[in-house]
Amino acid sequence: MHANLCIYYLKKLLFFLLSVFILSLVVFYAARLAPGDPLVSYYGERSEKLTPAERAQAEERLGLHDPLHTQYFRWLSNALRGDFGMSYKYKMNVLDVIGMRLGNTLLLGGTGFLLIFTLSPALGILCARFEDRPLDRLLCKVGSLSSCIPEFWLSLVLILIFSVWLHVLPSSGAYAAGKAHDWSSRITHLLLPLAVVVLSHLWYYAYMIRNKLMEEIRANYVLLAKVKGLGKRQVLLRHCLRNMMPSYLSMMAIAVPHILGGTYVVETVFSYPGLGALSYESARYQDYHLLMALCLLSGAAVMLCSMLAQAVNERIDPRVQSGGGTEVEHLG
Amino acid sequence: MDERFTLVGPRPAEAAAAPSKQLPPEIPWISWIVLAVLLLGCLCPFLPKDPAYMDLAHTSLPPCGEFWFGTDAMGRDIFSMIWYGGRVSLFVGFAAAAVSTVVGVVFGTVSGLAPHWLDGLLMRLTEILLSIPSLLLILLLQGALGKPDVFSISLVIGATSWASVAKVVRTEVLQLRGSGYVAAAQCMGGGFFHVLQRHLAPNFLPSILFMVVMNLRGAILAESTLSFLGLGLPLEVISWGSMLSLAEKGLLSGAWWMILIPGGFLAAALMCVTSIGSSLRRRMNRGQSNL
Repeated sequence: MHANLCIYYLKKLLFFLLSVFILSLVVFYAARLAPGDPLVSYYGERSEKLTPAERAQAEERLGLHDPLHTQYFRWLSNALRGDFGMSYKYKMNVLDVIGMRLGNTLLLGGTGFLLIFTLSPALGILCARFEDRPLDRLLCKVGSLSSCIPEFWLSLVLILIFSVWLHVLPSSGAYAAGKAHDWSSRITHLLLPLAVVVLSHLWYYAYMIRNKLMEEIRANYVLLAKVKGLGKRQVLLRHCLRNMMPSYLSMMAIAVPHILGGTYVVETVFSYPGLGALSYESARYQDYHLLMALCLLSGAAVMLCSMLAQAVNERIDPRVQSGGGTEVEHLG
Repeated sequence: MDERFTLVGPRPAEAAAAPSKQLPPEIPWISWIVLAVLLLGCLCPFLPKDPAYMDLAHTSLPPCGEFWFGTDAMGRDIFSMIWYGGRVSLFVGFAAAAVSTVVGVVFGTVSGLAPHWLDGLLMRLTEILLSIPSLLLILLLQGALGKPDVFSISLVIGATSWASVAKVVRTEVLQLRGSGYVAAAQCMGGGFFHVLQRHLAPNFLPSILFMVVMNLRGAILAESTLSFLGLGLPLEVISWGSMLSLAEKGLLSGAWWMILIPGGFLAAALMCVTSIGSSLRRRMNRGQSNL
């Protein structure tokens, strides 16, 4: 039994490493095959004034002349030793650049994630409790309308209302100049991006929770619990909610790439200095090493989360083991 | 025995649901009408003004009698641009949804019919694909294809959004592959596409219809987001996304009509598609609540 468990986790680990390897291969080749000039991000404006000889020399120095597979293996062997290369634009170690921005994204994404996953069960329970009554219908209508509004447009509209018309909240950045440690400045800068992240994802998860709860309250154990004399609220909160925990965890796992992807757009619109804006920038201006590290970081985080969810699910619900898995709807 | 030959057609649980409680399916008339108006308006060849003409004497005008929706920073008439740009946005949506459906159906069917190990491998592949944030994936693919135009961007968006369709198709095919008529068709020498077209597709079409409509929505959204970020269609190609991309510059001067009007049309189109999509799914009937 114990040996089996070890082999099981080893397999998982192997699968994870293999996935990260494939991901690195795909991103590396896709990024290099894309047209564009990495020297622009290295030299900025000056790159246009370089003579062909200087240009060739610079490319030689950055190792851009070698065949792609040589470049890949050089990157891989360095990366395995913990050296992910230097960012062309920032002229710093990639990990340091990421480290500077990581906190901002964690603050935005993490707070958003927490808010979404505390509010969405509340909405879901409310809808399931009052199924097909006016409250449920109203929430469903408003929710499905809200989930149709594109993130970037919602950001623009919020900036228009709160920054341009009312002048109450700032429209960009993570803090006012020179106030990096002033929490009130941070919070006012966080409010609008956070509102967009939460509003654009909230209903998606609340609706999934509502539907799962609807399935649960049609199960036979609900009848038994009622016969036992439990009230509606107790049945819903103590039994139904507990039974849908595995789906809830799977939702959290698939939410990680969704919310991460959402922060890309939001950070770019609000010029919020986080990893999303950084990824966008590095992909657009061929900052190869930075792009690789960012892709691997987000890919690995997502895969780890989904594996974690699966492992926890197996603990909670033994039926999940050996394939199957709790199916969670993917809604585009 | 039972494991290898699964019953197809109406499953016992569905048949048992009390037919008396079943409400007639609600048709979202408003959404259909709005969508029809949008489509007809976009296809209408007569526009009051040339959408690409830059009237430099009338830049950044708010809505007035001559320019119904105002003009943008380059003096173009927003009313004409909306209908003209809608063609591009909706075309990309439909084309990308078509690409993702075809790829998803073929991939899902191959995976469902394949031997166990290949099936496992293909499913792992889709999981890896789903683990990359889709915006980044689109960016990388688009980079590899070169400068974006209407066709390449539809292709890229379609090529990155087929995984959910493939998963559903695979599940359905796994249930159908054991049935007698599929085996019979294969024994009589029916090829892959014959079996898919005649025996499998008619069975799983209803269950993927919802996903296809949702992919349409996702594609319209993806195109506008990409064009807005300056990664999709170039600014010369008028679409709802690229119009909003220009509007961002007018934002701080308070030119609300450049932001609210194209965005409103975009959001309206998305809402219509969504409500039509979810009405397609609502046919699954629920039993009586036990609560």
